Amino acid sequence: MRIRPIAEGDLDELQKIARETGVGFTSLPDNREFLAAKIAAAVAAFEQRTPADRRNYFFVLEDEESGELAGCCAIEGQVGREVPFYHYRLGTLAHSSVQLDLHRTIDTLFLSSDHTGDAEVASLFLRPGFRGKERAHQRNGALLSMVRWLFMAEFRDQFPDKVLAEMRGVFDERGKSPFWECLGSHFFPLDFDEADRLTGLGQKSFIGELMPKFPIYTPFLSDEARACIGQVHHDTRPALAMLKKEGLRWEGYIDIFDGGPTVEAYIDDVRAVRKSHCCRVEIRSGSDTPPARPRWLAASTTMAEFRAAWVACGPDEEGTLTLSETEAQRLGVAAGDSLRVLDTEETS
Amino acid sequence: MMVVRPVRPADLPALERLAGLATPSLTNLPAHRDRLEERIARSRQSFGREVDFPGDEHYTFVLEDLERDEVVGTATLRAEAGAREAYYTYRQETLIHASQQLNVRREVQTLSLSHEVSETTQLCALSLDPRYRGTSAESLLRRSRLMFIAQYPERFAEVLAMAFPGYLDEQGESPFWNSVGRHFFVRDYHDINYLAGVRSKSFIAEVMPQFPLYLALLTPQARAAIGREHPAHEAAMAEMLAEGFMRSRHVDLFDAGPVIKGERNRLHTFRHAAWHPVRVRPAHALPDAEPAMVANQRLADFRCVVARYALSPTGQLMLSPEHAELLGAEEGRAVLAAPLTLPSNGEEEAGFDEGEL
Repeated sequence: MRIRPIAEGDLDELQKIARETGVGFTSLPDNREFLAAKIAAAVAAFEQRTPADRRNYFFVLEDEESGELAGCCAIEGQVGREVPFYHYRLGTLAHSSVQLDLHRTIDTLFLSSDHTGDAEVASLFLRPGFRGKERAHQRNGALLSMVRWLFMAEFRDQFPDKVLAEMRGVFDERGKSPFWECLGSHFFPLDFDEADRLTGLGQKSFIGELMPKFPIYTPFLSDEARACIGQVHHDTRPALAMLKKEGLRWEGYIDIFDGGPTVEAYIDDVRAVRKSHCCRVEIRSGSDTPPARPRWLAASTTMAEFRAAWVACGPDEEGTLTLSETEAQRLGVAAGDSLRVLDTEETS
Repeated sequence: MMVVRPVRPADLPALERLAGLATPSLTNLPAHRDRLEERIARSRQSFGREVDFPGDEHYTFVLEDLERDEVVGTATLRAEAGAREAYYTYRQETLIHASQQLNVRREVQTLSLSHEVSETTQLCALSLDPRYRGTSAESLLRRSRLMFIAQYPERFAEVLAMAFPGYLDEQGESPFWNSVGRHFFVRDYHDINYLAGVRSKSFIAEVMPQFPLYLALLTPQARAAIGREHPAHEAAMAEMLAEGFMRSRHVDLFDAGPVIKGERNRLHTFRHAAWHPVRVRPAHALPDAEPAMVANQRLADFRCVVARYALSPTGQLMLSPEHAELLGAEEGRAVLAAPLTLPSNGEEEAGFDEGEL
């Protein structure tokens, strides 16, 4: 299994993924034209033909033996540059009066575009056939998630100071978002899915036009809606845990539709960015012995031909990374080339 | 005989009784002896002061039943509603949220804190003994203040305003307070209302939410209470609308009771008030005529009564000796008269202030 930039020939496979993601995964609508354009934009991004602040790096995870795509993930170079990028910031307002013996703090939601210009990690999806117990040893989910830190570390000058990730919010048994029902539905003549779908397509201007511009005092929201603020969907908890481990934190920003948290960090502070480093590659002959649970992640240092995969061993004391022939082929490297590696088990 | 006159120190017990009788209890008339005593003192200063333009004067009047020798009502004029501190209201506003992309246009209702009413003259703190409800004395108490303003226009603002107590449910709870203010104060409506009267309303207002409120987020009960007067004040509202006041976009901060506004020149009493020399005639000799409010020309000795609007062919107002004495107006002196009865609906449409005032 390996990560590589998406390519023109991936359209059919990408459409299969788009069908599997279904509603709620808004950045991959089942729309061939849209997907074709997305691929074209990604190809241009990896070839650095578009300005750094307009790039959407879209990666795929492929089974290089069968050519099948197992999943995808993406990095948005800078959000909010072409269309506005909104959040609510959960803030505190003090209401206090000595004469009244009153001191209350009121949680308040402020409409914000504070994250304009930040990078975003997004669109992570692993197809069902590549998840689960039988596939656990491949660590495909972790590969999709962590490859982005290695990419950002390697091409650090192409990215801004901060990175964020938007997490899916809470939905009830009927699949309804209590936060949306209580707040957004009053202002948008659409249901949640439609609003979310348009957002995924990048057609966000309606948000700015219809959103309440003044702060929202949370005591005016229902208990159910308040309980959603900053909480993630059950299925999103593992993804959130993985991001938190890398040092991303919730700073009070939430999605304006479902109230789900946006976590963020300075890119230079992200654990994988700090800990990953470059090694010179050596190649040994002989067969491959894949480890029971891979620990070392390696990624190439060229953008257009970017590859990433788990490797069996880490670098030696001199900083040389010795790969099997299969591994080298998978990563598209020859002896003497360099690779960026990360020990994913290393703590702190 | 009923007469409206400026309050005196001796009226304190009566004022205290009236404050307790007000339904619902009024912020600007707290049943608090010290505060009421201050009010009387302030009113006496105001009547005694030389004034060129409206400021922080309060003029408090009482309604006296001379037969019973009892004070049975009170009402106040605040020359400038927000003279010393801002007068806070919520202003009902409509924002248009339109999206070309979705081809939709939504009207979003908000309540925004406003100080706009601060510069008006406020008619407030009216309380009447319930035995006199619905009588001409009630109209006299309420509208004799307009007769006073008509005589001393320099002391008051061009625009007059009046805040009505807001809607309370059967339990005496304010649905608006429970949906709005309570979140910020964690106190009962009556509690805060009393505090506001004893201290000042604006210092509480300063702790209220400063950003506009979206109506969509309030409870349906709270929304329904916005701009709705307390049921006990519906008749008073009807009378003031007939007088020419208009419902404004402003509502009370605590209970969302309506604030009505009127430009002096548009009010019935101002437009129809006229000066007449007095001609004293025995009561039994007075011709039948429509009732009128009749006021003398004095400041600190202001008096206003209800009498018949009986004019001689030469335009003299015929008054009984008792009324003439009460007004301190001997034969030949001029008094101000205006019809007590207001046109019923139709003649003058009850309008809605669209913000032009």
